[in-house]
Amino acid sequence: MKMTGSHTNTIIELRNVWKTYTMGEVKVNALCGLDLKVRKGEFVSIMGPSGSGKSTAMNMIGALDIPSKGMILLEGQDIAKLTESDLAQIRGRKIGFIFQQFNLIPTLSALENIMLPMIFQNIPRYERMEIARKLLKMVDLGDRIYHKPTELSGGEQQRVAIARALSNDPEVVLADEPTGNLDSKTGETVIDFLKQLHKKEGKTIVMVTHDPNVARKADRTEYLLDGKIIKSLKNHTR
Amino acid sequence: MAIIKLDEIKYSLKNLRNRKLRSGLSILSILIGITAIFALVSFGLGIQYYMDTIAAEAGADKLYIQPKGVGVPGLDENFYLTQNDIDFVARINGVKDITGMYFKSAELRFKDEVTYYFVIGMDTDELEFFMEGFNIDIEKGRDLKKGDLNKVVLGYNYLLEKRIFDKPLKVGDKVELNGKDFEVVGFYSEVGNPGDDAQMYLTLEAFEELHPEYVGQFGYVMLSAEKGVDPTELADKITEKLRKHRGEEEGKETFFVQSFEDIIETFGIIINVLNGVLVLIALISLIVASVNIMNTMYTAVLERTKEIGIMKAVGARNENILFIFMFESGVLGLVGGIIGVLLGYVVASIGGMVAAQAGYSLLQPAFPWYLIIGCILFAFVVGAGSGLLPAVRASKQKPVDALRYE
Repeated sequence: MKMTGSHTNTIIELRNVWKTYTMGEVKVNALCGLDLKVRKGEFVSIMGPSGSGKSTAMNMIGALDIPSKGMILLEGQDIAKLTESDLAQIRGRKIGFIFQQFNLIPTLSALENIMLPMIFQNIPRYERMEIARKLLKMVDLGDRIYHKPTELSGGEQQRVAIARALSNDPEVVLADEPTGNLDSKTGETVIDFLKQLHKKEGKTIVMVTHDPNVARKADRTEYLLDGKIIKSLKNHTR
Repeated sequence: MAIIKLDEIKYSLKNLRNRKLRSGLSILSILIGITAIFALVSFGLGIQYYMDTIAAEAGADKLYIQPKGVGVPGLDENFYLTQNDIDFVARINGVKDITGMYFKSAELRFKDEVTYYFVIGMDTDELEFFMEGFNIDIEKGRDLKKGDLNKVVLGYNYLLEKRIFDKPLKVGDKVELNGKDFEVVGFYSEVGNPGDDAQMYLTLEAFEELHPEYVGQFGYVMLSAEKGVDPTELADKITEKLRKHRGEEEGKETFFVQSFEDIIETFGIIINVLNGVLVLIALISLIVASVNIMNTMYTAVLERTKEIGIMKAVGARNENILFIFMFESGVLGLVGGIIGVLLGYVVASIGGMVAAQAGYSLLQPAFPWYLIIGCILFAFVVGAGSGLLPAVRASKQKPVDALRYE
């Protein structure tokens, strides 16, 4: 494990990250030397038009993908060069994902969906149940424990997804267009949950969105265009 | 993976239940093969056991001299051994007991019904030796006695309804053999094949009275080797000496000497080859089943691509995914194996009953525990093995690509 510490309170750092996709004979650069720093406990939103590389950046931070070039430091550890098995461990332990499509497993109940990440961390069953129940209560779904995703509304599904993202008590929560599939009102409640996580639990949150109203809820908004950060703005949040 | 996780197993089972029809069809395809293999092998083993028992009971020390060429003794009119031949063989070193038998087909009439089977004329002094060699006993009535002229002992099948005659015969019944009146005095126990169980037995004297033209012409000779003498070697020795005695050329003997061991061995080889071919065919059906399971699992992997992505996103490692999918296909095999064994048991049992009905009571299946466990295990391995490639594909999915899959 290589420690490349800069600021001790920097939790995520992307250094000159490139991602090149080959489509047929054409090479497409999704990320072109992206630099980004996120401090521990920060709520950062990334904004940009579609095709700007938002999701690719998110996948890199979340250890779902590795860059073609560059470094991704998660708590000082370069994850760009890790094996798939190690990446899986990092995803499971340090990162919680919230997706636009909710991405719950349709055959599993709300409770089972929340328990799933803990299975891969070898947490005993009884403990998993306890944690999952507590998290469901936290997202106000204590009465929806045994419901399947199809029996839940979009907002409820996304709240289950938030609970799932928190199941292994990760350092970082990554939200990729978390309100993209929700109407504005339910979207707001979801964002409120994220803000709570940030404020009460002190979680580091990185959120991708193309909605300026949503982006504004974060401490800071990074604007992405053509695979690069073009500007960074502090938001005045209450 | 070191630990088999209960939750991964549960997740696998849940997915199998969610696609009942496809799981069912995959199970069906594998259980057909397992049923066939189980039933066939159980018969093969049953016959093997039967032959082992026979060899132990009748004794592997028996030898037979029969006409060459025509397989059935008594049909070859030109072949016979004389009392002189028998006396000659009896003097050969290593020969213990010897008895010559008359062996001809005859017409048997009971009331209005007529049938044709073999009639055997045997030496009442050698009755015990004879019964030991044929592995039979008196089932009903009494055995032949020296001087019995108009008495006949019949094979087991005459005791059965609608087998040889419409109604079963009983001790004391009057029958006609080649037009001569005989009284049934007894029945022998079951041999287990329809030929032997339909034979008729007379004393030498009675046979000679029935067929005066064949007096002194023995169609079948049974002998036993002395303790410590190798029956196969003795057979070679007898062949050589008897050939010279009868003045026949080497390779053109009219007779052949076969040890019981050889007969059993030949029979065993034939049965095993036959059984082997059938098992091979059943194995082909298992290959088809395995392709079918592979197909089902590839489809499942494709369908659950997104789920695989989600699981990887929340921390599942390649091994976790591999295990889940291999376990699923293994369960398909396992269930197919268990049902296949049950069904194979039923099929083999029915087959055994049918064979017994037809007179082949020696054709009985055997179900040793290792066959049961072996078949089930084999089915599981075939299932899991068929799932290996799809499972590898599932586990190697890149999380980003899998998540994007719709």
